Amino acid sequence: MSWLGHGNPDDHGIALRVDDVTKTFKVYDERATSLKQFIAMGGRNKYEEFEALRNVSFEVPVGEAVGIIGHNGSGKSTLLKCMAKILTPNAGSITINKRMAALLELGAGFHPELSGRDNVFLNAAILGMSRPDIARRFDDIVAFSELERFIDTPVKTYSSGMYVRLAFAVAINVDPDLLLIDEILAVGDVTFQQKCMEKFVQFRNEGRTLVLVTHDTSSVRNFCDRAIWIDHGEVKADGSPADVIDEYTETMLEAQAAADGSMRRGDGPLRVTKVDVLVSDTRMDRVRTGDDVTFRVHFETPEPVANPVFSLSIASLTGIPVTAPSSRDARAVPVSVDGKGHVDIAVRDLSLIPGSYTIHTEVSGWSRQHLYDHLQHARTFDVLAGDSSEIDGLVTLRPTWTWSGDGVSSEIYDRALPPSPDDDGIT
Amino acid sequence: MSLRTAVAHRNLLYLLSLKELRTRYRKSVLGWAWSLLNPLSQMVIFTVVFLYIFLREPPIGDPSGLEVFPLYFLAGMLPFQYFSISVTASIGSVQEGSNLIKKVAFPHEHLVLSIVIAQFATLLIELLVLSVAFLIFGHMVLPWLAPMMLLLVLITMFTIGVALLLSAANVFFHDINYLWTIVAQLLFYSSPIIFVTEEIPFAWLRLITSLGPTGSFVRASQEILYDGQWPSIERWALVAMYSITSLLAGAWVFNRLSPRFAEEL
Ligand SMILES: Nc1ncnc2c1ncn2[C@@H]1O[C@H](COP(=O)(O)OP(=O)(O)O)[C@@H](O)[C@H]1O
Ligand SMILES: [Mg+2]
Repeated sequence: MSWLGHGNPDDHGIALRVDDVTKTFKVYDERATSLKQFIAMGGRNKYEEFEALRNVSFEVPVGEAVGIIGHNGSGKSTLLKCMAKILTPNAGSITINKRMAALLELGAGFHPELSGRDNVFLNAAILGMSRPDIARRFDDIVAFSELERFIDTPVKTYSSGMYVRLAFAVAINVDPDLLLIDEILAVGDVTFQQKCMEKFVQFRNEGRTLVLVTHDTSSVRNFCDRAIWIDHGEVKADGSPADVIDEYTETMLEAQAAADGSMRRGDGPLRVTKVDVLVSDTRMDRVRTGDDVTFRVHFETPEPVANPVFSLSIASLTGIPVTAPSSRDARAVPVSVDGKGHVDIAVRDLSLIPGSYTIHTEVSGWSRQHLYDHLQHARTFDVLAGDSSEIDGLVTLRPTWTWSGDGVSSEIYDRALPPSPDDDGIT
Repeated sequence: MSLRTAVAHRNLLYLLSLKELRTRYRKSVLGWAWSLLNPLSQMVIFTVVFLYIFLREPPIGDPSGLEVFPLYFLAGMLPFQYFSISVTASIGSVQEGSNLIKKVAFPHEHLVLSIVIAQFATLLIELLVLSVAFLIFGHMVLPWLAPMMLLLVLITMFTIGVALLLSAANVFFHDINYLWTIVAQLLFYSSPIIFVTEEIPFAWLRLITSLGPTGSFVRASQEILYDGQWPSIERWALVAMYSITSLLAGAWVFNRLSPRFAEEL
């Protein structure tokens, strides 16, 4: 049964148990598409087995929010589909002790020819709701999806964003105790994503269980109690989001650097291993304009290195350099470093305006003749709107505006953004 | 999936059946009338062929005394058509439900069952019209509707079995539809719908037509509605045997294949 628990008394406090699950797909070399062909091929297809999941085990206690991360094709969606009972594992078992709703990539199973209204009823019925229950919740569902005007048009005319909005609205309104979500935040606009996150927080606070598959490591870091890293169909790490995500991003960066030699240059021995972005000693993927931010550069060297000059270059993701502080300019070069360590570059009152930025690091000798290590894209991070409302350029210089002139009114036109054409005019 | 799951999802089954009926008879009253047009036009064609081209005498209902070929035809044709149209409509149903199957967990057989339910509703209306026709021709058919219901339960089991089997096979092989068209024709002409078994000169052919899977329920339906007599216990047993075999086989194959639908579609 997909949406009601099996009610195993041994499973008290466990919402979801994945026990040694293996899932293989058939990858056909040659496949008969007709019965005629099948008989001609001697009644068998040629295929190879591909293991998308191998011996995956974990338990999710009631009330936990778990993030599942991993690179593309690592098996995250397959795992979620197995949990949602859409796919059947070849070995192992999955036990669900709660009323479950699942939302897969790009929305729910909708019938393209039916209207949004009919699909809401159909979907809620699949998720196990009775008709009076659905009728009672219908207005809430439509209101949440913000699709009032389109609810009676066939869903085949919907955009993928509208699709997801409706699917999400249904899934959260059927009152599940366990919600499985695959990459929902990848689609839809920012305000809707915000709304979803709020709903997730409310869900978590109500003691419900959430499993979230996502690329967005920062939402796992900020929102989940636990992260599971799936790599090539196996659980590579399972633990606190901070630890798992660090390990994951490090491996990803190494793999990236290995794949693309130009990412890292230099002759060693000193190497930068990682760059963290911290606000009040907490690692962040997102900071705000005006925050006091510390960039922590971790390094490692097998032998002592004299007077290493560290520099940090911050550029927009479009490649425009913003600033490049160096320890030599700052008169902050130690006489010698050895083993592992880190250097903090603290910035007060961050003046970057909202956007995505990347950090390149470089370590060289004092004369800069000798390049120890240069790491391109050591770290990317986002800046959200903070104490400044500037949106053009890259930095805010925190300017003050003062008017003079007899014809200038002393009153300031105070309108909230966004502006409308009515705001223009000659008085 | 288990019966328990199917019952838990009866609301889904209701909605799917409703959708099935609504898309089929979109234009309400006219739509329903339209659905009667097909058996009626066939009735006219085959009546002309039977009476005026082949110059046969209409069979005499025993003990009803009826001597009306169109009624004889419809008494056999309506249950046969219920079966054949249900199967035809079911074959692609799993394929068409791929959007749902790949995204949500639900009993896949509901895609098939909803079609049979919608066809059953159509059949009931057709039978209602046919009953009025019998009454007009002076045959008191109403008490015979009770055994007819029993027969329809068996026919429905038979239909569901075949529909499950073929709709599951259609996920893997795309020529099932084509093969079914041939088989359906074969079944139609081997069932005594547009001819009378007793008039066939060869004994073996008589056996095939009245003992075949569709022939046996077609005969039973004619005996109940047109002749006004209880089919023999042997006939009931035969029909029941076909129905149970079909349902068990169809459900077994469907249940074995349905866990693979989501990845194969
Ligand atoms: N129905 C299928 N048939 C064959 N291979 C599949 C099927 N579905 C997924 N795969 C393969 O399984 C692997 C895992 O896919 P998926 O779970 O979607 O990864 P992720 O969601 O982590 O990106 C991929 O290599 C994918 O090609
Ligand atoms: Mg995926």
